[in-house]
Amino acid sequence: MGRQVAIASAGFSEHASKRSDVSMPELVSEAIEDCLKNAPGVEIGDIDAFVNGNMPAFEGSNIPELWMTDWMGARNKPLLRVTTGGTTGGTVAISGYYTVAAGLPGIDTVLAVAFEQQSQGDTSVGLASVAYGEISILNTLGIPYEQISRLLSAGAAIGVAAYQATTYMNKTKIKEEDLARVVVQNRRNAAKTWWAHLKMPNLTIEEVLDTPYVQYPLRYGMVCPASDGACAMLFTTEEKAKDICDIPVYVNGVASVANETAVLGYDGSGSCQIDPSMQLGAIRSAELTYSQAGISFPRKEIDYAEVYSPFPNQELMWVEKLGLFEEATAPEMYEAGVTAVNGELPVNCSGGVNATNAIGASAMERPAEAALQIMGKASNQVPKTVHTSIGSGWGGSLNLITLMAMSDQPRRKF
Amino acid sequence: MSKMTQRKSLDYIKKDYVRTRTLTGSWYLASYKFKFNITHMKPFLEKLKEKKLIGNQCSSCNRVFYPPRQVCGKCLVKPDKWVDIRNTARVSTFAISYLKDPETGEVQERPMVLVHHDGADTTSIAELNPEIDVKDVYVGMPIIAHWRDETVGGLMDIEYYDKFIDDSDDIRYKK
Ligand SMILES: [Zn+2]
Repeated sequence: MGRQVAIASAGFSEHASKRSDVSMPELVSEAIEDCLKNAPGVEIGDIDAFVNGNMPAFEGSNIPELWMTDWMGARNKPLLRVTTGGTTGGTVAISGYYTVAAGLPGIDTVLAVAFEQQSQGDTSVGLASVAYGEISILNTLGIPYEQISRLLSAGAAIGVAAYQATTYMNKTKIKEEDLARVVVQNRRNAAKTWWAHLKMPNLTIEEVLDTPYVQYPLRYGMVCPASDGACAMLFTTEEKAKDICDIPVYVNGVASVANETAVLGYDGSGSCQIDPSMQLGAIRSAELTYSQAGISFPRKEIDYAEVYSPFPNQELMWVEKLGLFEEATAPEMYEAGVTAVNGELPVNCSGGVNATNAIGASAMERPAEAALQIMGKASNQVPKTVHTSIGSGWGGSLNLITLMAMSDQPRRKF
Repeated sequence: MSKMTQRKSLDYIKKDYVRTRTLTGSWYLASYKFKFNITHMKPFLEKLKEKKLIGNQCSSCNRVFYPPRQVCGKCLVKPDKWVDIRNTARVSTFAISYLKDPETGEVQERPMVLVHHDGADTTSIAELNPEIDVKDVYVGMPIIAHWRDETVGGLMDIEYYDKFIDDSDDIRYKK
């Protein structure tokens, strides 16, 4: 049957391009320390189970969850590691939710931790493992390796995002200024968030447009950084959450939906998504999540959104696909300031993935920040009262979308 | 008060050590063996030798896959019908990459396109004629396959795609 789950607390480590002052377990410990600081009633002995995860092969060490067992306080307790590529953080949060929702005897409070120390591992090895299967198949069918790598531009997520950006820009008839505006909003918001990476309080649209193209239509100044950082979330039952914190945040809906593989497809057979910005998986995950949470009018009922947007065109795309704005109207809303901190529907007030991207942790930082906005404990807190918020995730070439809807009222429909 | 917060904060570590010690290491990781079936590709590759394009169609949802696919993800049905596909296509989407020539150091602009063949329901990666100016490329641009003189029965038999003027009215670009 399942039971109502609440988020009691969430915490972050400091993010930077190279956290060379700490090792990987120490980085994770920082996030847990910050998370438990927000929930003074919880001792490490009160936590019944742990969920842990990061982007596979990006950390450069074998079985990192066992290395950091002592640093998490997980010795002799149930521990689970989940990795789903770019959406790892979202999946770790959903796993934490499921662990509590299952209602197993003796498992009420679960700590979910997602982390990434990209400066330590070899990112190119990680990326190679993402695309190598499809590339070797195309290779066998007659396309030489040099041409494939040129076509895919080394296979990184930016290749996929650039294709999405071109069709999105074609569909909405927007200019590069509209993309730059999103970046400026994100990086200025990041300057007010203590844990964010790229803090640029005085960034202007002209400065963004002054940087060279990485890949048309995306410029260097629009692309997310590579960060080191960790995030922790504390999930517990409805009853216990009321004792632990002042404003428990109830998880009312979760979804994780995969869609057609972008660009390459399986066995080199191409993609059925003729328009890469169509994103049927996001639409479906929104449907599932909102029906669980009893949200009928997302635009009206959702007060705050954290969407996974390493590239500005994705932020515009997601807010539309997740039902927050009508199709092709998001750029206007950004121009009108609807999505600003003091706007009608604030989006990514933490600066989002565009300002901080510790890959494995990024997709968990979205629901974590969205939960803190409801609790009123966020670093860049919006002035209005947030009742309902969402946090989404998107994973690389597979187009896997994770979504979590949270509220200050327990409304999960069973 | 939690034990985690009672415990001395991590600052004591930072006081003692300004930096962590960095150990560099490397090991050979890039060796893979993937098993995949190519029997469903055979008719497709043989037709390429004759400079003809075919795709396979799902009998349940009628979607046409080019290059052929082993299973339709929508219906969990094996596409078993072969259908002809035109050698004309549309640019479904594109991006421009900026690659440095290793010898001259000159930055080259190269458009990378996903092509949507007329008669197919999928897009595939391809290259445009290097003589096409990158500024002229747009979404929905009509293009035509340019074959190599000697075909071997591989995807590389299509050397690149050329621009052409589309005066046919029977096929409209599907949105
Ligand atoms: Zn089918």
